[in-house]
Amino acid sequence: MQTITLVPIEQFNISIEGETISPDNFAGKSADEIGALVAYEGNFPRLLSELFDIKVDGNADAADDVKIEINGNVPRVKRIGEGMTGGRILINGDVDMRCGAKMKGGIITINGNADSWVGQEMRGGEINVQGNAAFYVGAGYRGEPCGMRGGKITVFGNANDFVGEHMCGGEIVIKGNAGIMPGLSNKGGKIVIEGNTTMPGSEMTKGTIIVKGEVEDMMPVYQREGIEAVDGVEFTKYVGDVVVDGKGELLVK
Amino acid sequence: MSEMLIKNATVYDPINGVNGDLMDIAVKDGKIVDSASGSAQVIDAGGRLVYPGGVDAHTHIAGSKVNVGRIMRPEDSRLGLKPKTKLTRPYTGYTVPNVYAMGYRYAEMGYTTAFEAAIPILKARHTHEEFEEIPIIDKGGLTLFGSNWMVMDAIRENDQERLAAYVAWGLLASRGWGVKVVNPGGGEAWGFGKNVSGLDDPVPNFEVTPRQIIRNLAEVNEKMDLPHSIHLHCNNLGKPGNYETTLASFDICKDIKSKRDRQSLHVTHVQFNAWGGNHWGDFESKSEPIADYLNQNDFLTIDMGQLVFGSATTMTADGPVQYANARLLKARWSNGDVELEDASGVTPLEYHPQSYIHGIMWAIGLELALLTKDPWQVLMTTDHPNGGPYVNYPMVMTMLMSQKRREQEMSKIAEKTFDRTCIAGIDRELDWYDIAIKTRAAHAKVLGIVEHGKGHLGVGADADIAIYDIKPDETDATVEFDKVEAAFRRSAYTIKAGEVVARDGEITAVPMGRTYWVKTKVDNGGYDRMMDDLKMKFKNYYSVNMANYMVQDEYVERPYVVETEYK
Amino acid sequence: MIIKDVLCPFCGCLCDDLAVEVEDNKVVDVKHACKIGASKIKGHDRIKAPMMRDDKNGEFREVSYDEAINESAKILANSKRPLLYGWASGVCEMMKKGVLLNEEVGGIIDNTASVCHGPSALGVHEKGLPTGTLGQFSNRADVVVFWGCNPVQAHPRHMSRYSVFAKGFFANKGRRSRKVVVFDVRKTDTANLADDYIQVNPGEDYMVLSALRAIVADKADVVPETVGGVPKEKLVEVAEVMKGAKFGIVYFGMGLTQSRGKYKNIDNAVSLITELNAHGKHSIIPMRGHYNVTGFGQVCAWETGFVNAVDMSRGIPYYNPGETCSNDLLMREEIDAAFVIAGDAGAHFPAQSIARMGKVPVIQVDPFHNPTTEMANIVIPTKVSGVELEGTAYRMDAVSLRMRKLVDVDFPSDEEVLDKIIAKVREIKGASS
Repeated sequence: MQTITLVPIEQFNISIEGETISPDNFAGKSADEIGALVAYEGNFPRLLSELFDIKVDGNADAADDVKIEINGNVPRVKRIGEGMTGGRILINGDVDMRCGAKMKGGIITINGNADSWVGQEMRGGEINVQGNAAFYVGAGYRGEPCGMRGGKITVFGNANDFVGEHMCGGEIVIKGNAGIMPGLSNKGGKIVIEGNTTMPGSEMTKGTIIVKGEVEDMMPVYQREGIEAVDGVEFTKYVGDVVVDGKGELLVK
Repeated sequence: MSEMLIKNATVYDPINGVNGDLMDIAVKDGKIVDSASGSAQVIDAGGRLVYPGGVDAHTHIAGSKVNVGRIMRPEDSRLGLKPKTKLTRPYTGYTVPNVYAMGYRYAEMGYTTAFEAAIPILKARHTHEEFEEIPIIDKGGLTLFGSNWMVMDAIRENDQERLAAYVAWGLLASRGWGVKVVNPGGGEAWGFGKNVSGLDDPVPNFEVTPRQIIRNLAEVNEKMDLPHSIHLHCNNLGKPGNYETTLASFDICKDIKSKRDRQSLHVTHVQFNAWGGNHWGDFESKSEPIADYLNQNDFLTIDMGQLVFGSATTMTADGPVQYANARLLKARWSNGDVELEDASGVTPLEYHPQSYIHGIMWAIGLELALLTKDPWQVLMTTDHPNGGPYVNYPMVMTMLMSQKRREQEMSKIAEKTFDRTCIAGIDRELDWYDIAIKTRAAHAKVLGIVEHGKGHLGVGADADIAIYDIKPDETDATVEFDKVEAAFRRSAYTIKAGEVVARDGEITAVPMGRTYWVKTKVDNGGYDRMMDDLKMKFKNYYSVNMANYMVQDEYVERPYVVETEYK
Repeated sequence: MIIKDVLCPFCGCLCDDLAVEVEDNKVVDVKHACKIGASKIKGHDRIKAPMMRDDKNGEFREVSYDEAINESAKILANSKRPLLYGWASGVCEMMKKGVLLNEEVGGIIDNTASVCHGPSALGVHEKGLPTGTLGQFSNRADVVVFWGCNPVQAHPRHMSRYSVFAKGFFANKGRRSRKVVVFDVRKTDTANLADDYIQVNPGEDYMVLSALRAIVADKADVVPETVGGVPKEKLVEVAEVMKGAKFGIVYFGMGLTQSRGKYKNIDNAVSLITELNAHGKHSIIPMRGHYNVTGFGQVCAWETGFVNAVDMSRGIPYYNPGETCSNDLLMREEIDAAFVIAGDAGAHFPAQSIARMGKVPVIQVDPFHNPTTEMANIVIPTKVSGVELEGTAYRMDAVSLRMRKLVDVDFPSDEEVLDKIIAKVREIKGASS
């Protein structure tokens, strides 16, 4: 087991592109080697050692045995954990956009808020956001037919608009409220919103959306199909979106 | 000026009948010459394969359709990225590369000339703006005439002189090289969401048939003495059973003779037009009757339109076929009607080897090339990016050269494909000479640019040369196809107008190529009748003024103009 | 002297039929143009010379072009996150140079579309755009829909030249050949000219579009009695009109792109049009504002593969609106220098973005004073494109035309200024690498 602790030296103003910060990249590396990795501050290359105090305990051969702890707010460090296949990242603070993008395995825990595109195009693994998440939780890149394909994202606070856009698989749970149009153009997967949301499930062809709170502005393109119980709670079941001949299930309280 | 001597080259130059001779090639001031002086830069080819620079006679590299593809597909533009360097601009895109990648990637494969296959006249300025930004390669473009009101009105009124005058004016207005005819009449019918169903189905409101459009444009093309023949994208493209329309379209031009040493009809991306069956359920290859026709007739040439598995962006002036595609595949759809002139559509799609429909399409392209005996009659293209992007040409070349390579690909393809095609039974394997024909010599001949120095290495030709890291006498392409493909993907040297522009697949210089276009003098009463009609149409129907319509000289900074005369 | 067939440097209509009278190198009369177009050509008070100041609250001092250009290059070359914004009221030739400058400085290039029709492009990424040239619509359209746009005010000659009153080959009776429908949240001047006006609740266009799609697909049974404030029977009636069209055209504006759902409204509208094409012929087109705002999207796409908002900080283009647009970055206070050309950030950005611009060096290249000048440290005046300079512009339907030069002036062009800045930036960066 290898534990790497990063403490931000300063609060960055210009975002740092931190795609090098992942268990796959850190596995087996010394503090000096990790410090020599490059992260861009805008157009300016910086060394991780200039940005973080880096401590390494233990050693590991593979990502699975790596734990990265970021102690401090990093709301201006993007792409942490991008493409990671295993291991853990614990962020004790807020994090910037695209955290866990293209992630395939492992666990990211954010003890703070996540900016937009957390879990973008995620394929596997788990992301837990203890605070709020901004736009496009688990969504895709622009123009891509699929966003999230696998894995699980849990947001304990609220999420902003377009949760799970173009989702093709996996699961998203929003414990608080979600903004407009969660599950837009879904082709699979499951979204659970425990709070309120607006216009869920537009153009959903497959998949499930469960809204436990209130739905403001129900899409006018769903077929009501009776009552269904989930974990002993009764929901009204809608099927649609009919404009795309959708067979998606939208369960609303 | 600059001199170069390429020593010990194993040269394949089919236009000059050179078939694998070990020789030296001398270059001076951008042209091939007899001999070089002692001060020439020497490149020792060491017995490696030397071809004339590649020529692509049918590709979609510039203009509004291509840009529609880029704008619609940011997910494509994030592929193929290569950062800027001191010499090169950034590369982006796979099926719809940016202008820089477009030129660099051709050059990296040893290609030095590419012709854009569809220029709408009203949007020609845009095409030339992109041409002016595509580095290294020489360019030209084919102008769309097949659904144009001026064309159809002149044909209906049996006024071929007026038709010729308009074609000449349209080529001038668009700075175009040749006459492109896409789904003749179909573009106009698409103006109200309809299509024409066959060669004798009159175009709504214009009362001319696709047959008349093809025939008249082909006749006028020869009277105008244009370097290229008409370039036809047949009716009913993309529909099962369309091979009959294709064969009947061939017949329309059977008795038209060209004074020039070339075909009188070029039919393009025939893979998409050699389809049997009545619907997708009984869809099958009809490459054999098409190849039989080619084997019996020498007046026409075709290009493959080979399919490559993976991502493609289909783009064509054939508006209705794109709508049908998009609906069938539930894909994104952009349409681009051009007032009074034509239509167009762009739809991204993915070719899957496990889809037997795509498998059959894959087989048809190769069958056409392999069943047709004369290699000069079938050009290798993918109808970039409709069948797949041109960066895959090296792979297609190895498939033509190696049955083993085809078998390797067939093993990935849906079984059902092989009940509906004959590809599995074809053992023909093309050689180095055939490939030189199919990727450069025949393209230049079909376009009519051999006499302008393209597609060959004779004295006086442009010094556009590709040296590949292959020793033909030591390489068995039927077996060592991976090595051959790698060599074709990254030329050892690409030389453009006597300058080394790429070395081992990396760009080393970024000169700008020329733009080829044709100016035809039509000096008869037809011109005045045409101008009267044209002025009336601008006054009443065009949304731009005539004075602002034609492409200005500022947009063609390095023109190569060929002049001809109507007789 | 009267110069004919002049192009108008005002709105996306890019009218090309103006006649301009020039005497002694001065424009004295403009014919055929709308009032705004004519005033654009006649011009107003120019910035007379390059100016600089260190303190944004201080007075400008006049400087030479060389000094202003060199100082601008220094600022850009030494920035980590420079923003290059504007790129609308100019010709394509300068836009190409802008993309190159952005590569050289590793910045972000963003066009004014990001605060108006940017969402249209995002909608196109989702669904494409079934469209055509304006003459296709004037010749054929028998059903004309304006959705969230008001051409009477914003595109004054649009209705007479292209959309409503224009006579075409098939629509040969002009206005009487067409049924005109307006969807909007309020009854605009355009709505007053329409045959039918449908009032949509603010922010509920998306649901109305979905309901129309369901009705067109014969699935009206699921649609509730009222959607977005519109009674179902009204929606059924309009859907029938659209479905019955031989050629239907939807023109849309910022009422659709900037209301709730933004690009999703465009996405949904495009789908409606795509589905209507199973019945008749239908097209859709954004009513672009600046005369060449469309041109930037075209240039940027062919140069970088992306339509706008291109981040070159890593040496390869990266595009992601929501992350790489001017305001995404200004609101987060990431931008450390701003270069504003042929667009007015000062007039159109939200207060938070303006506040950030107040704290960083701002370079303005523009013929005229505008609110951006108030925030600028360096101001470089240039020629007025289409009046003092020839060049390419793209009409709202992406038809490109060449703008004419009407008078001669001594100012440099945008392109010349950019060339010099690029050369200087290369010199600075070359020396430091």
